[in-house]
This record gives sequence, structure tokens and C-alpha cells, in this order.
Amino acid sequence: MVTISEKVITYKEALLRSMDDALANFPGVVIMGQGVDDHKGTFGSTINLAGKYGKDRVFDIPLSEEGNAGVAIGAALNGLYPIQTHIRNDFSLLASNQLINIAAKYKYMYGGHFEVPFLTRMIIGRSWGQGAQHSQSLQSLFAHIPGLVVIMPSSADAVLESYHHAVANYRGPVISIEHRLLYDFTFKSTYEYGATAQHDPFSSRIVRSGKDITVVATSIMVIEAQRIADYLAKEFAIGCEIIDLHSVSHYDKDMILRSVRKTGKLLVADTSWQAYGVSAEISRVVCESDPSMLKAPVISLGMQPSPCPTSKHLEDLFYPDDLSFTEKIIELVKGKNHGLQLPGRSLNEVYKKFKGPF
Amino acid sequence: MSMNKLYEKLFYEALRIRLVEEKIIEIYPTDKIQSPVHLSIGQEAVAVGICNNLLPTDLLYSSYRSHAYYIAKGADLDKMFAELYGKEAGCGKGKAGSMHLAEKSVGFMGSSAIVASTISHAVGSALASKRLNKGQVSVATFGDGASEEGSYHESLSFAAAFRLPVIFVCENNGLAIHSKIEQRHTYVVHEHAKAYGVKSVYIEEGYDFMKINKVMAGVVEYVRETGLPYVVEVKTYRYKEHVGIGDDHNVPYRSVDEFNEWKNADPLIQDKESIAKFSAKINDEIARAVKFAEESPFPADSELLADIY
Repeated sequence: MVTISEKVITYKEALLRSMDDALANFPGVVIMGQGVDDHKGTFGSTINLAGKYGKDRVFDIPLSEEGNAGVAIGAALNGLYPIQTHIRNDFSLLASNQLINIAAKYKYMYGGHFEVPFLTRMIIGRSWGQGAQHSQSLQSLFAHIPGLVVIMPSSADAVLESYHHAVANYRGPVISIEHRLLYDFTFKSTYEYGATAQHDPFSSRIVRSGKDITVVATSIMVIEAQRIADYLAKEFAIGCEIIDLHSVSHYDKDMILRSVRKTGKLLVADTSWQAYGVSAEISRVVCESDPSMLKAPVISLGMQPSPCPTSKHLEDLFYPDDLSFTEKIIELVKGKNHGLQLPGRSLNEVYKKFKGPF
Repeated sequence: MSMNKLYEKLFYEALRIRLVEEKIIEIYPTDKIQSPVHLSIGQEAVAVGICNNLLPTDLLYSSYRSHAYYIAKGADLDKMFAELYGKEAGCGKGKAGSMHLAEKSVGFMGSSAIVASTISHAVGSALASKRLNKGQVSVATFGDGASEEGSYHESLSFAAAFRLPVIFVCENNGLAIHSKIEQRHTYVVHEHAKAYGVKSVYIEEGYDFMKINKVMAGVVEYVRETGLPYVVEVKTYRYKEHVGIGDDHNVPYRSVDEFNEWKNADPLIQDKESIAKFSAKINDEIARAVKFAEESPFPADSELLADIY
């Protein structure tokens, strides 16, 4: 009988540990990114690693996103495993030529003779006036491209097992999109270094079983969905089945279809815009497979179709809040005229509590 | 190696590249090669002069105009023609075509159709050789148009700041498709490199493989010994149109006179004795490669979705 020790750690601590483990166990790993070796260490996720492993393995780089991404590709081709960071997802667009035109195609385009193993971490900002260029959530843009693995770890263990898998076992480019607001969240962690994962680390997982509705969620929306599901179970005996999509590029289609076949109801909650995004994709696979399994139209939640405004007043309207999330679930399960009384204020205060600036 | 032997060796390599491309021109109208070709004719000496000084373990990254580098770095002609024909035996299993030739076994690490996109790969490659003490030299080859991309400047700056063993080779043919260098930028590539603290050299005689070879011998030795970057600018001349097999001196964006000046200096045209001496042997080799390509099968249907992840 193996005893699995359960710890409570923050997302940030999981990131730091995953980086530390990678450096400790794989001599080819280098971490290159803006401020990875400074006193803040990428919001704590790379802190003190330059001191521990040396400046030649954890180093700051010029403000040259495209060039740096190309450097990572060349380094990967010649024996290193680069981990790159973009302290905002938005900045990765400057590297997108290398990520999309080059890295995604390197193996295929040259007939399978080359591999470019690397991990690029990108961080989504939200709240405290991040505004239009510090808040974008670009998973569907990258997941659209064959050749890229795109993941959005929603928990400490998701970080630990995915990043270990990327570094230890996978030989291609991995884009991981982390949510800044997850960094200080605490999670129960049972992850043991090197232990075989119970599921494909680059695929989806069911984080809560339920019979009434399937909620497919990404990143921080998984956490919101879990809180709401707790509330709905307790107050109204509604059973939510929550699928953490986790891998936007390689999600578990069969898992989603099995669940929707069981519940007949589907809500997709993504951190980005709905058009051409995760919601559109998940709706596509259900429609192409068997739309008759749906007992009601699909509902999707995402950002309003505008750039992100800075004013708190408008920002609150821009993101779906947990009350509307809750309302939509009840609507799908009980119908529009459900007559249930919902609380008049937000179920969680995290977005209001976040004190930036960054 | 005596001067005469060296001359013959380099001449042979340069002529080999030219005859390969002339064979492509011959085959092209049959549509057996369905891939945009950017011919190196006129620029062969640059590839030959550089690659003669590289070890098989040195890594070279190139652009869509890369037939010359593929051959000069020592990659296989059978696999090249098979690739141009879209056959499974091609160096890229028929998925690469003319613009994405690569051959890992000889250190020819890739060629890309996105201008300037492989320059930073040579820098990253040099970063890895430095960290892993591999003793390699990494080389990026690109045109004067590529020097206008931000990525070129980012790469130069990175290589200088991190002190990396990489050679940037700018083949300056003065043209970006049809637009002339004077219309596009005001700096001089080899002068401008000095602003980054990177040493540089300019070779005006881009047809002279002996001279390029000699200069490159010094550059490669310097980079290998010091581990520092170097910029080499070579003035050269593109004989053919940007893409395709045609001549385009009948349209008024460049003059026949300058073309004739280059041809008058080009050993691959002027040294008729050496051409006569080597052509038959090379043409035999090319004929065998073409036959190999013709007889090779197309990729299996399953190849469409293979090697993506």
C-alpha cells in the first residue's frame, strides 16, 4: 500500500518546483525569459533558481521576442531544452512567427528528421486595470495550428505533471498558458515526482462527476466552475460534471461526448472570446458527432467581444461573473423559469481582492 | 593541398551546383518538379567557399535559396532530386520541396521560406554548442533583404551580448525579388555589424570561390577559437529571376550590362577547360540522381498525418 502524502501548495509554488525539478534532473534545461533571474523571479515562479543553478542556465534575455524564440528553436535543435517565459500572453504574439511558422512545422516540414523540444510559458493577466494588451488569452489562436501542444494547467498538480512530462518525455514545442490570478491560489497536491500519471498529462480530465450538466472549462474557469458546482449541489441538488479541458490542442473528445451523452446539457466556460475559440470548437465536436444528445442548446461563457477595458466598471462587464455563470447553469438544468433565488453578490471576491499592479 | 588542386576541388563543387540547377531548368517545364525553385545560379561560389571550411559537425541554417548550401554542405543528390519530385525518398520525405531542404547527417539544419527566420536558429544553435562545449561553429546564410528584418538585428544583438560562435553570412545580390537595395535601406551590412561590436568582413568578388574560401578559413578559425560572432558580407549576383527558371533581364529593373560584367568574371563560364574536364562526370552523377527520383514512389497516404507532433 503506497501512502500518498497530500500537501497544500500554491500554483506559484508548483511552478517554482517544476522549474527546479527540470533544472535538477535535466542538464540540458535552460530557463530564458524577461526577469527570470531578478528579485521577483517571474512572479515567484523562477525565484532564486539562477543562484542555485547558475547564470548560464537561468538567464535574462534581450527584449527580442521573435529572435529569442528563434534562439530557443536553434538551441533545441542542438541539444538544449529551453524553457521560455512571456510575462504576458500578449507579448508572445511578437514570437508567433517562430512559434507558428517554424516550431510547429519543424518536424513535419523536414520529413520527421528534426525535433524542437521546448516549453514556452505565457501568462494571462486579469484585473487591476490590465487593459487591452495585458489581458488576452490566446489559446485558440495557437491551438489552431497543427504541430503545437497548447495546455492551460488549472491546478498545482496539473502544472507539476504536465511540465515534467513536457521536459522528460515530449520532443516537440509545448505552449503553456498560465493565469496570473491562479498564482496565489492554494491546491491540494498529491503529485510525486516521477510517478506515472493516472491520465495523459497533455489531455483532459474530469474534476467533478455529476448527472445534470457537463461544464467544459479552461484554466481559472475550472476553479470558478468548481466553486459554483459546490454551491449548486448544496443549495439546489444540481449535479455538475466538470471537465478540465487542460489541453486546448489535444483535448479528450471522447470524454466530452460521453459526458454530454449522459447529461444532455453542455456549458463551455473559457477565459477568452467565444468566436472561433474553445467554445466554438467544443460545440463543433458535439454537433459533428451527435447533436441529438443535446436536450437544450449549448451555452458558452467568455469575454465580451471587445478589447479589454481598463476601467473597473467596464472590466466587470467584460468578464463573465460567477453569478451569471451560476444563472446559466441553472437555466440549462431547470429551464429559464426556474424560480430559484440566487444570492445578490458575487460568490468569490478574488478579482476584487487582486491588488496589482502586475 | 596545392593551389591548383584546391582550385579544382572548389571549381568542381561550384560547377556541380550549377549543373544541378541547369538540370532543374531542363526538367521544370515537364511539371515533374512541382515546387517553387529559387535558383542559386550566380551565387554558387559563396556556398562553396564557406562550406569548404566547415566540419560536418558544424551546423548551417539557410533560406529558401538553399540548393547551393545543401549540396556544398555535403548532402545527397539522390535525396535532393527525390525531394524536388515530391517522392518519399526525398530528404524531407516529399514534404519539404525546394524551399525546405535539410539534411541532419551533414549539419544542414534547415531552410525556411520566411525571410530571415533561420538567422536566430544559428544563434540558438551556437548557444547550445557553447553551453554543451561542442566546439561547433554555427552559420546563418541569408540575403540583403533579410538584413532588413528585425529578427536579423535581434539575432546579431543576442550573439554579441552572449558571445556566441556564430557566423552571419549575408549574400548581397542587391535584390529583394525586384526591389533594389538602394530603395530599401541606407546602412552597409558589414559596417553596421560593428555597431553591435561584431567583427565583419566584406568580399566584393562573390564569383571568386578561391578568395571566399581563403577569407572564410580565417573567419571560421577565429570564431572557433574565440567563440565570438562574425559577419561576412559577400557581394554576389542572381542570374535568374527571384523564383522560377527564367531570365529576367528583358524587364527594366536591372541591366544586361551588369549581368554581362558578372558573367565575364565567372569561372563557371570563363574557365572552359575545367568545365570540359569535369562536366561529364558531374552530369553522370546528376543523371543517376534524376533517375532515382523518377523511379522512387510517392509518399504513402499515411504520410499526410505523420510526423506532426
